Amino acid sequence: MRRRKAVAVAFVTATLLTGIVVIQAIRGKAATSERAARAPIADAFAGLPRPPRPAFTVGRPALLDRRESRARFAPVLRRVDARTEPNAEAPPVATVTERTEEGTTNILLVLSEARRQGAAWVHVRLPVLPNNRTGWVPRSALGGYRFVDTHLTVDLNRFTVTLLRDGRPVFRASVGIGRSAWPTPKGDFYIRNRLSGFGDPFYGPIAFGTSARSAVLTDWPGGGFVGIHGTNEPELIPGRISHGCIRLRNDDIVRLARLMPVGTPLTIR
Amino acid sequence: MTPREEISEPTIDELASTLAEIDADGALQETAEAAFGGTRAAFLQRSLAAAAAAAGGLFAANSADAADVATTKNDIAMLRFDLVLEYLQAGFYTEAERLGALTPKTLGWARVVGAHERAHVVALKRLLGRKTVPSPTFNYGSVTTREQAFIRTAVGFEDLTAALLKWQAPRLDSRSVVAAAITLHSVETRHAAWIRHLIGLQPAARAFDKPASQARMARLIASTNFVSAQPQLAGRSRPRLTG
Repeated sequence: MRRRKAVAVAFVTATLLTGIVVIQAIRGKAATSERAARAPIADAFAGLPRPPRPAFTVGRPALLDRRESRARFAPVLRRVDARTEPNAEAPPVATVTERTEEGTTNILLVLSEARRQGAAWVHVRLPVLPNNRTGWVPRSALGGYRFVDTHLTVDLNRFTVTLLRDGRPVFRASVGIGRSAWPTPKGDFYIRNRLSGFGDPFYGPIAFGTSARSAVLTDWPGGGFVGIHGTNEPELIPGRISHGCIRLRNDDIVRLARLMPVGTPLTIR
Repeated sequence: MTPREEISEPTIDELASTLAEIDADGALQETAEAAFGGTRAAFLQRSLAAAAAAAGGLFAANSADAADVATTKNDIAMLRFDLVLEYLQAGFYTEAERLGALTPKTLGWARVVGAHERAHVVALKRLLGRKTVPSPTFNYGSVTTREQAFIRTAVGFEDLTAALLKWQAPRLDSRSVVAAAITLHSVETRHAAWIRHLIGLQPAARAFDKPASQARMARLIASTNFVSAQPQLAGRSRPRLTG
């Protein structure tokens, strides 16, 4: 009995050892043949030129922020009547021209769009009296839209001006505003142009034209437009010192000019 | 491609001044002549379509304009062309998204594709470095607010951009620029298939796609009248403000 057991164990062991040896032999052969098969392929790749490194790679695309707030404006391409409704038969509100009083391109702040009888119309803020007036003009009378992420606010009670970008304040300064006889108008307006190099110290180094107009100085040359500009009397700021314009110290207007594009909406309250 | 409606065309003078500004050393002449034949002077007097088409020439390179990475005049010219095309498309899709007048499905497409095109602008500007070109001014009129007009224009842009890159690839000198350009090409073909699918067109209509030349693309751009004169927003006149 003991002898049979020993024979059985010896048989199993021998079988296992034989199997291992056979498997190893097969593996070795397979590896050898795989290496042999791979060699020509490697040789072929070795003969190919190295792939060039791309001259540029495109970075991660950035989606627009859904919360972004952008005002838009457009240049006036031709003289046109603004109307009370988006309709060519509607009563005219005012006529807008291609140029401002200073010869720059006239622009209009865009509030919304509408289509009537197949034609595109644009609701715009107008640089006319009475202030805060809006009207509709054909889309074809305007050029391409431009977008701005800034908004300028003037607080007449606190004599301050604040520039917001994406809703966050990025600039603040003291201002001089209109005297009681020539008050700075309140309402919603926009920046129409930027003037510099004109050589008149009264306005400082830079002046911004706005769509706001003095309700009092209507016979002023150019129509009594209210501006935002520097001054040669900085010691008077803050205060009620002007004919309606908003005056800043010269270093402040220079700083503001670096941050504020033309077309920026303006709120005076 | 749907031409923009109701927008007056830029005058030949406006185009000529733009071309003269870009083409300071006459490189445009070469492109213009290659595309249309004739002299530069004659070219500038041609029809609006021809003149605006040659705005493609504003991407033409000159010997002093060797880009930092792409070193041949030929490659720089094509990359500049691509950059302005990317400006055009990025502006188009971005404006459509901002105005928000299209259907949600189309806006969703414009949102993603617009982000891609803006990324392409960044990549091309970085590659061209000092030799980049500024964005022209665009006027898309009401096309960015009208669903059908927007879609037709988008299909045209994407199909032809893919075709243009196919035309450029074998003409580029630098293999590294080719390697980069084909990464744009496949994305543009995906855009094309995607927008086609959205409106029920065959995403892959043919077994083989044909290339489209730069001259053809320039004519397409001209046909839209999307390139417009730059507004003058600043001046040096004495202010006529109340003070």
